[in-house]
Amino acid sequence: MSTFGALKRETRFMLRDRAFVVWMFAVLCFSSFAVWSGLAEVRQQYESIAFLMDADQQDRSVEFSKQSDWGSAAYYSFHLTYDPPSDFAFAAMGQRDASSWKHRLRMLALEGQIYEHDPGNPELALIGRFDFAFFAAFVLPLILIFLLHDLQASERSAGRFDLLVASAGSSGSLWWRRACLRSGGVLLATLVPLLIAGIFSGTTGSTLISAVVLVVAYILFWTLVCLWFASWRRSAPVILASLIGVWVLLSTVLPAGSRVIIERMVPIPTGAEILMTQREAVNDAWDLPVENTMGPFVERHPEWAGYTHSGEGFDWGWYYAFQQVGDQTAEHLSEAYTAGRVERDRLAGLFALAAPPALLERRLQNLAGTDMRSVLAYEGRVRAFHSELRDFYYPGLFRGDPFDPGRLSDLPQFSP
Amino acid sequence: MKTDSSAKLQADQLHIYRSGKEVLSGISFTVEGSEVYALLGGNGAGKSTTLLSFLGFLAPSGGSLSVDGVDVGTDLKAVREAIAYLPESASLYEHLNAYENLRYFLQLAGVPDDKAAIEAALDRVSLDPESRGRKLKDYSKGMRQKVAIALAILRDTDILLLDEPTSGLDPNAIDEFHDLVRGLADSGKTILMVTHDVYGACQVADRIGLLRGGKLVGEFSAPEGGRIETETVHRAFSNRTTRKEQAA
Amino acid sequence: MSATLTIAKEEWRYWRRSNLALAVVAVFIVILISVSWLTALRMHAESHERAHHQADSDQTFHSQPDRHPHRMVHYGHYVFRAPMPLAVFDPGLDSVTGQTLFLEGHRQNSATFSASGSSADLGGLSWLTPALIYQVFAPLLIIVLGHGAVTRERESRALAPLLAQGLTGRTLLAGKMLALLLFVLLLLVPLVVSALISLGSGESLLAAASLVGVYLVYLSVWAGLALLISSILHKRSSVLATLAACWLALTLVLPAVAVNVSSYTAPLAGKIEMELTMLTEVRDLSDGHDVDDSVYDRVHASLLEEHGVDRVEDLEVNIRGVLAGMAEAKLTETLNVYAERRMEAEMRQADLLGGYGWLTPALAVAVASRTLSGTDLDHYHRFLRQAEEFRFGFVQGLNRAHAEELSYIDDINRSRDEESWMRARVDASNWQVVDEFRYEPAGASVRLASAGSSISMLIAWLAVLSGMLVWTGGRLKP
Repeated sequence: MSTFGALKRETRFMLRDRAFVVWMFAVLCFSSFAVWSGLAEVRQQYESIAFLMDADQQDRSVEFSKQSDWGSAAYYSFHLTYDPPSDFAFAAMGQRDASSWKHRLRMLALEGQIYEHDPGNPELALIGRFDFAFFAAFVLPLILIFLLHDLQASERSAGRFDLLVASAGSSGSLWWRRACLRSGGVLLATLVPLLIAGIFSGTTGSTLISAVVLVVAYILFWTLVCLWFASWRRSAPVILASLIGVWVLLSTVLPAGSRVIIERMVPIPTGAEILMTQREAVNDAWDLPVENTMGPFVERHPEWAGYTHSGEGFDWGWYYAFQQVGDQTAEHLSEAYTAGRVERDRLAGLFALAAPPALLERRLQNLAGTDMRSVLAYEGRVRAFHSELRDFYYPGLFRGDPFDPGRLSDLPQFSP
Repeated sequence: MKTDSSAKLQADQLHIYRSGKEVLSGISFTVEGSEVYALLGGNGAGKSTTLLSFLGFLAPSGGSLSVDGVDVGTDLKAVREAIAYLPESASLYEHLNAYENLRYFLQLAGVPDDKAAIEAALDRVSLDPESRGRKLKDYSKGMRQKVAIALAILRDTDILLLDEPTSGLDPNAIDEFHDLVRGLADSGKTILMVTHDVYGACQVADRIGLLRGGKLVGEFSAPEGGRIETETVHRAFSNRTTRKEQAA
Repeated sequence: MSATLTIAKEEWRYWRRSNLALAVVAVFIVILISVSWLTALRMHAESHERAHHQADSDQTFHSQPDRHPHRMVHYGHYVFRAPMPLAVFDPGLDSVTGQTLFLEGHRQNSATFSASGSSADLGGLSWLTPALIYQVFAPLLIIVLGHGAVTRERESRALAPLLAQGLTGRTLLAGKMLALLLFVLLLLVPLVVSALISLGSGESLLAAASLVGVYLVYLSVWAGLALLISSILHKRSSVLATLAACWLALTLVLPAVAVNVSSYTAPLAGKIEMELTMLTEVRDLSDGHDVDDSVYDRVHASLLEEHGVDRVEDLEVNIRGVLAGMAEAKLTETLNVYAERRMEAEMRQADLLGGYGWLTPALAVAVASRTLSGTDLDHYHRFLRQAEEFRFGFVQGLNRAHAEELSYIDDINRSRDEESWMRARVDASNWQVVDEFRYEPAGASVRLASAGSSISMLIAWLAVLSGMLVWTGGRLKP
């Protein structure tokens, strides 16, 4: 009962503090703005996907109507692949601003296509958007610092410190109560817009709960840091400057240093190497004997061993075979590129343990399906779809199945 | 406007408002040359307000102020150059030593800094020579007070305004300070100090003005060659605190 | 004037004796120098690597054997965007835009492989560059040093005696501002070094000097803001808290918020979206592979008439090559309309974003810095345009060889047998149509002009703050 009374008293006291009320309002505005514009962006992306699916379908049917053999049908038809935003993407746009989440592919060598980039405005990507993850990970700690740093110093400089401690009996619980109430207020103002947006956009319950747990833990961490610094017997400006220093260290210096170290530790092939290797393989094949192409091709696809080159000149089967062999030649580089990105991401996750802001942002992006792993998973789906396309066309190309436009409706569909 | 030519400081029907409240309601007094005048009053009587208005930090809403015959409103620069001001709890830089503090302030005041003169001034306020090179953060309050007075001496202004100069000093330091103030007055300086220390005021002042609720309610002058009697002033001063008056 | 100097000197003496100030400055300088060093190394390596890839790519193209010229149209060529000299200071869009562009016939590809796409993701602030340090973190340093400028005088009760001895508020603020400006100049030393280095690698003096000037104005804005808040508010703790809140709003929150607002109010159709929109238009155009395409019947007829022959076989030129060239020109025209449309939309969005520089000098300086360094959106577009021009140039060169050096008979019979296959080719000397691709950035005066609006925003900020300081100085009270 006395604890409850104390809480009530302190709450009333806190709400009389104008600076605190202003900051609470600011947090509420920031959080609402972040989730609102996240929702707007997600809506735009869905609209864009709907348009693309429709236009893609139309384009393909127009192209198919003009074709009369399997090879041309495959050559002239493009297929849309995309990664729709998840039900939590509004909170953390993550890699969706920097990496491609949509492609239009055809059955040519995949390595030449999968790295095609359909980015937004790089000027905007460079600054980065104000999404909930950015707000929570980077802005929120600063606001907590502003609110909590002078918890004790202000009482000291006003000469009330000893009086307060003498009146409260145990001083520890007094500062704890005050800090927790302030952080609790900030937490509430942060989470209410997120939860409303989550319910509104049908975010999975477990995702939302995980996000709440993450934010609570994060705010608790910064509250503890602030409390520890606030208990210094120093003036408020010194404590504030030191806490901002800690923020700079954790949100900038450590992540930047880690990134440099990780990139040194895990070298990856440059994109140019992958593309040029693939192109050389594809183009050299034109001048090489057919066997040079078919050998490695049949090794991968023994089922087409019976295929024979139809003539001396051009032949679609041979053409697609060397497209695939081009991919096979660049495979080791491409795999190294993917493995390098996986490894860099794994190390980044490890290093982020020392830098809570980066950690929170990464965890939220992970929940939202907008982290590097999601990008790689999408790339995996694109690769799988591309090989389904090959499986669909190869019988026509290598077994000589007669062209049947009706069968084109059985084309594999990309499912995100 | 009328100015008394012999008066160094003059307030005439001075009215001052601060944050919508009248803190001085029509006070008038003059301080003559070579005189120590003490404005005595309790908390919130308007003592510091009076000092700050002589420096032009507060503009009067009525009445006039003049320093050395010059109206404060018309030539603030001349007025400030004629005055040395010691705020309550002497206020110099803690990260500098006595010499550095004096040199800095003198440079800003446009006074050439003369090493010998500085030593002489510090001698005059009897600041312990060993301490002079130490930073002010290690000084006692009395020592800081001495450096501040040395500054006033070095600036060689005719007029000194002192705000609660003895608050927080120990009895020995107060006595030492009073001797110094008397000495300065005897050498021709005009001194206006505000204080709530009845005993101290009687010891050092030639005249005392008693402030209460923004009004000057009494003036006391020292008899020729003597001091003002503490008992009389004390009775007048403590009148204020009787319940009857507060109720009225 | 001498009083101003005395005050400025005193402020410096205070900083020199303050452990906090010294520690903060030391840490900052260490970070700034190491970041400058790392960025310079990275950009140097990038520059080297891209030049190497470019040379490799040129050499591979030139060393292709005799071939059918259209094969080379599809073989294509790679170009690499060489970093600008000032990218050692402000890499700008370098890390978020692709560095490799594949050029081939009938298509405009996008630049691929941005550094950010394969990097360890540790949050946006982990992309530390010297420019970002100046834009975001140098203001913090100025705040830490400058917040006490007037408040400290107040708290140590020195302001009253100072003013009482005839010093005017304006002189006091001028002295404090002078001290802060000298500090700003000191902070700019690493930038000046970077600028000098960039001069060595071919940057113009005008661009480098303007860049230094822009940051001088920007940091002066922060010095002015720190001084202003310090002279208006009385408690040192509230001065610092207010300034820190301003910093949070101006450097972290507002620029990101401006991004959201710009992308919402001026949405940008993606490349694929634009491509699909375009396709309905392009669908009627052929890629020139098929000579009997009805669109070209008229051309066909007029060519025959022009040369006074009845059959295409009798033409002096190979009609397939002529038609390929015409189709490429037509297609490129259409592609360029859409590419321009997209670039315009991007510029519109970027300009909208840049307009928010009126609200926050951090955004204005970032835009001005990228523009002057030649690492902004406009320069990225210049790269794309120049690469496109280059692409069109060599594709048409190959089409010309196709028309003039390969006979029509050999061409149509190429798939008949091995010998015909070998005959349908032109001499490898034709591959020299691919010249060395040299990216030409805008001249310094052009860059300065396009940074004009951002620079005027910064100057407006400084002017307003100076005015407020003069006003405050006139009314300074203890």
